[in-house]
Amino acid sequence: MSSILKKTDLGAWAAALEAEVFAPALADGVWAYQPVAPGANDGGVALTHPNTARPPKNFAFPQREVLYTFEQLKGQAPKLTETLPNPAPVVVMGVRPCDGRGAPRNDMVFTGAFDDPYYQSRRAKTAYVGLACNTPPSPNCFCKAVGGSPSSKEGLDVQLTDLGDRYHVVAVTPRGEELIEAGGKLFAEAGAADEKESQRLHSEAAKCEQRTFGDLAAAAPALKKNFDSEMWQSLAKACIGCGICTFLCPTCHCFDISDEVTGQSPMRGERVRTWDNCQFPDFTMHSSGHNPRETLGARLRQRVNHKFLYFVENNGTQQCTGCGRCISFCPVGIDIVAVLDRMIQA
Amino acid sequence: MVDIVNIRAHAKDLLEKGTVKMVLGYQRGTAGVLAEPAFITDAGQADHLVWDPTCVQNLALYLVNEKKAQSHQRDPDTRPIAIIAKGCDSRAVAVLLQERHFERKDVHVIGVSCGTLGVVDKNKLSKALNGRVATKVEPHGTDSFKVTTAEGFVDVAAADVLADRCLECACAYPAMHDVVFGEKHEDRGYPARFTALGQLEAKSEDERWAYWEGHFNRCLRCYACRSVCPMCYCPECVVDSIELMVDPTTSADEKANRIKWIERSAVASENSMYHLVRAIHLAGRCIDCAECERVCPVDIPIRMLNNKLEKEAKDMFGYEPGLDPELPSLVASFRDDDPNSFIR
Ligand code: SF4
Ligand code: SF4
Ligand code: SF4
Ligand code: SF4
Repeated sequence: MSSILKKTDLGAWAAALEAEVFAPALADGVWAYQPVAPGANDGGVALTHPNTARPPKNFAFPQREVLYTFEQLKGQAPKLTETLPNPAPVVVMGVRPCDGRGAPRNDMVFTGAFDDPYYQSRRAKTAYVGLACNTPPSPNCFCKAVGGSPSSKEGLDVQLTDLGDRYHVVAVTPRGEELIEAGGKLFAEAGAADEKESQRLHSEAAKCEQRTFGDLAAAAPALKKNFDSEMWQSLAKACIGCGICTFLCPTCHCFDISDEVTGQSPMRGERVRTWDNCQFPDFTMHSSGHNPRETLGARLRQRVNHKFLYFVENNGTQQCTGCGRCISFCPVGIDIVAVLDRMIQA
Repeated sequence: MVDIVNIRAHAKDLLEKGTVKMVLGYQRGTAGVLAEPAFITDAGQADHLVWDPTCVQNLALYLVNEKKAQSHQRDPDTRPIAIIAKGCDSRAVAVLLQERHFERKDVHVIGVSCGTLGVVDKNKLSKALNGRVATKVEPHGTDSFKVTTAEGFVDVAAADVLADRCLECACAYPAMHDVVFGEKHEDRGYPARFTALGQLEAKSEDERWAYWEGHFNRCLRCYACRSVCPMCYCPECVVDSIELMVDPTTSADEKANRIKWIERSAVASENSMYHLVRAIHLAGRCIDCAECERVCPVDIPIRMLNNKLEKEAKDMFGYEPGLDPELPSLVASFRDDDPNSFIR
């Protein structure tokens, strides 16, 4: 069963949800998930964004997470206090399908072999209301090449499809059903014509031209074969070794842990987890001074191999969801699609 | 007008004769409309070079990287590197020479004049095109660009899409060069230098604090602004210490307690510290290529910080970096008539 929501009622729906609601808004020239002010009318929530600069991964995996606090009085044992988060429910609106597909991939990392309670307590409270792409919002979109689609529901709780003046709304999970129920009379039952129109838009979008590197299944073996290739060095020649491609990636999840001391007597502070990334020089720096990934070529290889080889070996699926951010935002044009293309051709 | 054919011919000649080991320039990329850096070592590839208003990057960075790489090579090729340099880029090369990062003989500067134009700002361009995607940008006359999109050609006024730094450019004609393409234009007809900075300075202290606090709060600390800067060449930076010397007697405590000037957390206090340290370290060195601002994925107006210190150096010491590679750098020079107003 599916429903219809008038665009002008989007704000009212957000207000009816017992949760902190976030939606993309243009702030300081950048599309970013912004809190929706209580009582916002449709002017407060209008899903007119291309894709946000930062992905929504921070809702479950914030850039800074306090793991515990510590305090030590002179001569005594240190006292540790756990700081497990207990966040209010969060609803993120306007999530593009590629970013939706990022969520289950991050779940694989933080669930299973290592159950991460910090991640999970936030993830359990986060719901994603997705927006299908009627046309790819960026020329660097390549969701289709990585097994997704502009109307993928994977990882989403609700899927919205833009029908002009209204949305066709589909609940994907039980949490999604709850969210729609909370909207009450704002939602009308969708007619057969609406459902048909929604389907038509999805199949039109699936026909849109996107970037591609060819056969997804060929990527992992090609990367394995070319591990020692000279190509990595030349492909990374222009790379400046910044954190853009990884910090903006919906599925990059590497982190660092450090102690931040806030007082000396008694000695106290916080143990924090912060985003880290494989492009920084100190990422693999050993305390001996040896760095096994000294060169930018080795770091580019790590980034691409993690997405398309190691994650496949460990989890049976590639990690990249084709959002295209690492391409569009790279200051010097390093292009993961072109890199994969080269590796597969070689 | 700069004709790319002449640049290619010059690059080819240099590589054929073997007088340079590489030509740093621009080529078409796959990621979008902007050109990407090209590292041409083979005369046969000189035809890949392009020159147009999408050649935004300051390639002087790669002179620095090449120098660093050389120091690790057993038998480095010490022939000079040729670099295609816009006016601002040429000033960066000059600063690196002033700071003795390499010698004049190590570099062959192929200057290109921006004439009355400059390079485009990608964000302004996409705004001006209102959803259409540019696939090519060419100069059109002296004050506009001809932009190609899938839906056809659009003529866009240069003043609407030029990068901010180009609008206020002090040096659209290369300050130093071995060969130069294009003509010099004295009056480019854009706002005077420091116009945007003046508007920010006119605000109250509280307003300015709120402005920067808001921006620093949003910073991801991806360090792209630092990593792209040709003058940020320190091997050890305050933000990522990679040079802790460890020997067999270094204890675990010493490793754990090495000085951390700035915490990894991307919070306002640490972010401000990072940006202010960086700005101070660039005083009298920054030449306003504004690469830091261009690369920022969240549009933090970093150029304004460096602009402020650039202006300070100019007002206090009459100093402008990178105009003459023979002059000493600001911090390495002293004149009897320096104001020294901070020493009391
Ligand atoms: S990659 Fe696909 S899902 Fe993501 S924004 Fe582009 S079209 Fe939409
Ligand atoms: S690797 Fe690039 S395209 Fe793939 S999900 Fe990450 S940012 Fe998006
Ligand atoms: S590939 Fe691009 S975005 Fe990534 S580290 Fe290199 S320069 Fe930065
Ligand atoms: S490029 Fe932008 S986000 Fe990255 S560190 Fe610099 S100011 Fe912060």
